[in-house]
Amino acid sequence: MPRERHIMGLFRDEHQVVSAINALKESSYKFIRVNLPFPSHKIMDALKLKKSWVGWFTLCGGILGFIAGFGLAIYTAIQWNLIVSGKPIVAIIPFVVVGFEATILGAVFGNVLGLLTQTRLPSYRWLRYYDPRCSGEHIGVLAACEARQEDGLKDFFHKQGAEIRVFE
Amino acid sequence: MTEDTAKTMVIKKSRTSWVFFVLVAIGVAAFVFGLTSQHPERAWQAYLINFLLWSAIAQGAVLFSAVMHMTNARWSGPLSGLSESFAAFFPISYILFLVLFLGRAHIFPWLHEDLHGKEVWLNIPFLFTRDCIGLLILYIFGFGYLFNALQLKLDPNQPRGKLRQSIFEAWQRNHRNPEEIKRRMTVWGGLYILAFALVLCLIGFDLVMSMDPHWISTLFGAYHFVKAFFIGLGALIILAAIIRLKQGEMSGIKANHFHDIGKLFFGFCLLWADFFYVQLMVIYYGNIPEETHYVIVRTMLAPWNKLAWTVFIVCFVGPFFILLRQGIKTKPVFMMIICSVVIIGIWLEHLLLLGPALSHDAQAIPLSLSDGLISLGFLGLMAFAVGYFLRIFPETTLVKESN
Repeated sequence: MPRERHIMGLFRDEHQVVSAINALKESSYKFIRVNLPFPSHKIMDALKLKKSWVGWFTLCGGILGFIAGFGLAIYTAIQWNLIVSGKPIVAIIPFVVVGFEATILGAVFGNVLGLLTQTRLPSYRWLRYYDPRCSGEHIGVLAACEARQEDGLKDFFHKQGAEIRVFE
Repeated sequence: MTEDTAKTMVIKKSRTSWVFFVLVAIGVAAFVFGLTSQHPERAWQAYLINFLLWSAIAQGAVLFSAVMHMTNARWSGPLSGLSESFAAFFPISYILFLVLFLGRAHIFPWLHEDLHGKEVWLNIPFLFTRDCIGLLILYIFGFGYLFNALQLKLDPNQPRGKLRQSIFEAWQRNHRNPEEIKRRMTVWGGLYILAFALVLCLIGFDLVMSMDPHWISTLFGAYHFVKAFFIGLGALIILAAIIRLKQGEMSGIKANHFHDIGKLFFGFCLLWADFFYVQLMVIYYGNIPEETHYVIVRTMLAPWNKLAWTVFIVCFVGPFFILLRQGIKTKPVFMMIICSVVIIGIWLEHLLLLGPALSHDAQAIPLSLSDGLISLGFLGLMAFAVGYFLRIFPETTLVKESN
C-alpha cells in the first residue's frame, strides 16, 4: 500500500483558508485539519464540524456533583445529629451552598473529561505534522494524498495562495 | 416604496397606536373604577406594582445600551440601539411616580405606625423629595447618554418631525466629532450606570422594603436593581423578537444576537436567584424574629406560600432548565414566550413582596380582574412610548459596518 504524503498549505488570510477548505472538501485530496493561532468563526463555519458532546458531559457532571454535594452534606449531618440554633438536622437552605459548589466542581470535571475524550487528547500523532509558524501569523491547512498526487496537491495550494510545507 | 405599501404602513401604524390607546383607556378605567370602589387600596396596590415593574423594565433596558458602550462590546449589534427606545418611558415613569403621592394614604402602611426612630427617614415629605430627585437625576443621565448615542446614528437626510428638528439643531449648535461624542457617551453612560444602582436601591428601600418598616435587609437594594436589569433584558428580547418576526432578515437581528442576549438573560436569571438566596441565607442563620417573620409570612404561611413557589418556579426553575438548551435561545418565538412568562412572574413577585403588608389578614391571594386590566394599561403606555420612539428614530436599530 503506497504511503500517504502530508502537505500543509500556510496562509496569512482567513478568507483564503475558508476558500481552500471548501475546495479541498470537494477534491479527491484528504482534508485533515487546520492549525490556527486565533479562533475564527469563519473557519469554524467552513469546517462544518459536528455538534460537540462536551456540553452533555458538563451537564451530567453538574447533576452528579449536585447530588453528591447534597448527599455529602446530608450524610455528614446525620452522622452527628447536632442541633444548632434549633435548626433541623437536615437543613436544606444551608446545604444549597455545598450542593451548588459541588455542582460547579462536578460540571468542571465533566467538562474536562468530555474535552479529553471527545478531542482524543493527548494526541501525539499530529505533532509531527505541525509547523511553528501556525503559532505566529500563519494558518496551516493540512491535507494528505497518495504519493502520485503530491504535485497536484502542491499545485492546488499554490493556486489558493499558500506557502507549501511537505512533511516527510 | 410604492404608494400602496406606504398606505398599508400608515394604516398598520394607526391601528397599532389605536390598540395601545385602547389598552391605556382600559387601564385608566379599571384604576378609576377601583378607586371609587370599597377597596381603593387594591387599586393603588396594582398601580404601585405596575409602576415599579414597568419603570424597572425601562431603566434596565436602557442600562443594557450603556453597559454595551462602556464595555466596548460589539456582539449586541442592533440590540443596543433597540434598548435605547425604552428611554421613551422615562417621562411617563416620572409622572406616574408623582401620581403615587395621591395614593400615599393607601400605599404606605407605616403612616400611622410608631416607627421607633425611623420616622426621620420614613416620612412622606422626605421620601417623595429624595425619590423625585433620585429619579430625576437617573432620567437626566439616561437622556444625556441617549442624546449623544443618537448623534452617531441619526441620518440628517431623513424627514424631520418637530422633536428630530430640535435635536438636530442642538447638535448643530455644538458640532462635535465622533470621538468626542463617544467620550461623552462614556461619561453619561458611566453616570447612568452609577445612578441606576443607587437610585434603584433607594426606590427598592423606599417603595418596597419600607412596606414592612420593621424588617431590614441591607442587600435588598442590590436585589432590586439586579431584578430591574433582569426584566429589562427580558423586555428587550421581547421587542427584538417582535421586530425580527415582523421584518425578518431586514431587521438585522440574527439568531446569534438572540443566542448571546439569551445567555445574558440566563446569567441574570441565576444572579436574581442568587441575590434572593443570599438574603434568605443570612436571615435563616441569624434567626432574629423581626427578620424571619417577613420570610415566614411570604414563603411558609397560606395564602402567600403558593405564590412564593409559583414565583420561584416561573422566574428561576423554569427558565433555568429551558435556557440550558442552546437551540431555544436562538428562536425568537420561544424567547418571547419565556421572557413574557418571567416578566409576569416578576409582577407576581412584587405582589408577594407588597401584598402581605398592604392586605393584612388576607385569606386568599388578593388578585382580581382589575389588577390585570390596570396592568394592561401600563403595557399600553410602554408599547405606546417605545413605538413612538421607534417611529421617530427608526435608524436607532441600524448598525453601521464600522461598528
